[in-house]
Amino acid sequence: MQPIVLGIETSCDETAIGIVRGRTLLANVIASSVDEHARFGGVVPEIASRAHLEAMLPSIERALKDSRISLSDIDAVAVTAGPGLVGALLVGVASASGLAQGLGRPLYGVNHLAAHVSVDYLTHDLPTDPTIALLVSGGHSSLLQVDDITRSITKLGATMDDAAGEAFDKIARILDLGFPGGPAIDREAVNGSASAIDFPRGLTTSNDWATRPYDFSFSGLKTAVARYLESTPSFVRADVAASFQEAVVDVLLLKAIAACKSSGIDSLVIAGGVAANSRLRALATERCEKAGIALRIPSPALCTDNGAMVASLGSLMVSAGRPATQGAFDADSSLKVEQVSL
Amino acid sequence: MTLSLAIDTSTSRTIVGIIDGDSVLFENFHEGATDHGRALSQLVAQALKVSAPPQQVVVGMGPGPFTGLRVGISFAHTFGFARNIPVIGICSLDAIDIKEDEYTVAIDARRKEIYWARYRDGARVEGPSVSKPAEVDGFIIDQYPDMKKLVSLSATQNVTEPMYLRRPDAVPTAERT
Repeated sequence: MQPIVLGIETSCDETAIGIVRGRTLLANVIASSVDEHARFGGVVPEIASRAHLEAMLPSIERALKDSRISLSDIDAVAVTAGPGLVGALLVGVASASGLAQGLGRPLYGVNHLAAHVSVDYLTHDLPTDPTIALLVSGGHSSLLQVDDITRSITKLGATMDDAAGEAFDKIARILDLGFPGGPAIDREAVNGSASAIDFPRGLTTSNDWATRPYDFSFSGLKTAVARYLESTPSFVRADVAASFQEAVVDVLLLKAIAACKSSGIDSLVIAGGVAANSRLRALATERCEKAGIALRIPSPALCTDNGAMVASLGSLMVSAGRPATQGAFDADSSLKVEQVSL
Repeated sequence: MTLSLAIDTSTSRTIVGIIDGDSVLFENFHEGATDHGRALSQLVAQALKVSAPPQQVVVGMGPGPFTGLRVGISFAHTFGFARNIPVIGICSLDAIDIKEDEYTVAIDARRKEIYWARYRDGARVEGPSVSKPAEVDGFIIDQYPDMKKLVSLSATQNVTEPMYLRRPDAVPTAERT
């Protein structure tokens, strides 16, 4: 029997419920409060937390309807325990606890970052652990070695300052492209030239490659874009967007492919909201093909925060016989990626 | 009588009770302003061991510090949904049991303010509000919601929205200086 798992994700501004049966996606409901945050130029934690509470039950009901199952069919509940905004996470964890305790089913508190990687297993063939994973979103940018998605993840490197998605948001703001910045820059860049401006690639000097080959830095790039705009009153917005995007995507892939080569693992998963970026997807396909690396990127809808990824990781854990989270637990806003579950 | 699971997380305490009319079958609390998430499911697990399945959930809707408050409400909502039983919301201050004809109760609202309400002959006549302590006369503080009183109020009250009383702190980009 394949387990039916309901997953709850509330780490940022999306109240998301996913239901899977084994590795089959049955429902993926996302209620976003992004419009409420837009006028603040970023996610306001208290607004997000209030919206989670409001959206929770309607989203669960909708997911059950979409998946044509009843509550009693659920074998386990999984929830993002961290990392994320603590007040937002707590709504999800408390809701998941109430649901699991009400139904008398086991509860799995899982890692948001691992869940992002695990969602790929819903869209592609069986997991080819080990794999290298590039996780890029508004809150995180890291390179991971995944030996077993249900219990063994090693962090190879991470951003030293802004997350990649955060850099997109900030540049979109100074280009007056609105929030969230990722899709806005992606759209604008279509009409620009990626080679128009040679923006810096962070942490790619020979010294960086020797000492921190898999870390990222986007703050220098951000400054370079701001300086360019100041010194170039007649700048072409589409060219700036395309050249900025190219600098981010280029450095992400340089390091991801280097990690594959040096570890001898010829498999790469790209996950997280920035994995929805069309240039990242195109360039990754091109470079991985050249390097003989099997590339897997979830469909764009499964790249941004969603509940299916939480259900997916929960389901993989049930199938692998991993124990449910024992006893009560709290949300952990700074949960390390190495800790796949609580 | 309706067997009720009672929950309140509007104060620094996580409080859980099982109430059957006038009988308190279970009441326990955990002290800790940031422990609601961890404490609540443990207390509910203890509570469910001592009774038949509850027929309704009664939950304190605040006012109270937001993060902890939402833990109780979130849990109550999904627990009630999972069991297909009603969830009834109560103003948490109303459930503080003071044996006087006229009184004002308050709880800590942080930022040097209090959440408070005034009562006369068993009815709330003012509040709930959030104010500086100096602006409120003669209030009783450091008392906590009573689960039996919380449940008794479910016959006449059903608050459906959390009582936040404050807007989220945030300044729109356009208004920043």
